[in-house]
Amino acid sequence: MNIQVDEILDAKGLACPMPIVKTKKAMTNLEAGQVIEVQATDKGSTTDMKAWAESTGHQYLGTVEEAGVLTHYLRKASDAETKQETKHEDVEQLLDLQSKIEAGENLTILDVREPAEFAFGHIPNAINIPLGDLEERMKELDKDNELHVICRTGNRSDLAAQKLTEKGFPNVKNVIPGMSTWEGPTDKNN
Amino acid sequence: MANTKVAIIAANGSLFDAYKVFNVATAAAASDAEVGIFFTFEGLNLIHKEAHKNLPLPEGKEHFEEGFKQANVPSIEELVGIAQELNIKIIACQMTMDVMNLEKEAFIDGIEVGGAASFIEYAKDANITLSF
Repeated sequence: MNIQVDEILDAKGLACPMPIVKTKKAMTNLEAGQVIEVQATDKGSTTDMKAWAESTGHQYLGTVEEAGVLTHYLRKASDAETKQETKHEDVEQLLDLQSKIEAGENLTILDVREPAEFAFGHIPNAINIPLGDLEERMKELDKDNELHVICRTGNRSDLAAQKLTEKGFPNVKNVIPGMSTWEGPTDKNN
Repeated sequence: MANTKVAIIAANGSLFDAYKVFNVATAAAASDAEVGIFFTFEGLNLIHKEAHKNLPLPEGKEHFEEGFKQANVPSIEELVGIAQELNIKIIACQMTMDVMNLEKEAFIDGIEVGGAASFIEYAKDANITLSF
């Protein structure tokens, strides 16, 4: 799996609690929203990373194990994400979206999470353009289609929906809450 | 865990005890908890300038030395450095220091010296309290 990250931390060969301590340090140098890859050989590090993310509010994306190396992916949370402040008016409930998909409707789903988040599970056929790249990649999208914008909890997709509306997309829906509670089928990788 | 407070008593001085104390303490601090450790009796060895660099394995457990090397666990010296960097509060027990005739200068930098009441004052609203 080829996953784009902002920072790579080599914690291979280190025993508990060093992978966590090093991750904590590396995380302070990241901007909110950035993704870090932590390479570790400590077998307990997967459960520790999950617990640590739970404690600190950062987002644990997933782990890939290959040749004895555990590669963990984490995303730094921002304060804004924990606050719910939805402004885009046209919202769509996640369950309604799921029913439409199950009914076989042909929808355009735009997933604005980071590629690393997208790689670990997304709605089949969703298009991935991270929020930060939306401005310049907007032209890849067809204005005639109804756009269903989704992220993890509904905040980034809200910002994306506002931005798209502002740029003249007539039919944009912000799907809430988002992939964090999605129970339908998912695809992995890109 | 930003609003979590952890209070630890370290009362023993072997290498095993040192790992129990510093692993839990640094993991908690790295998870954004506020951490304070009260070092008393043999626990003072864990922050003694020289002693903490060469702590004994418990009697009869000397064969674990090899295991520590193989698992590549950080040295206690390294963990003490991390504890200081993560702003873990270190309180050395005044009474034990008096009994053992030790001065503050014999310990690592940045410690506080206090009595049992200092620890109780710190620990009174702790969410997690541990004793090693």
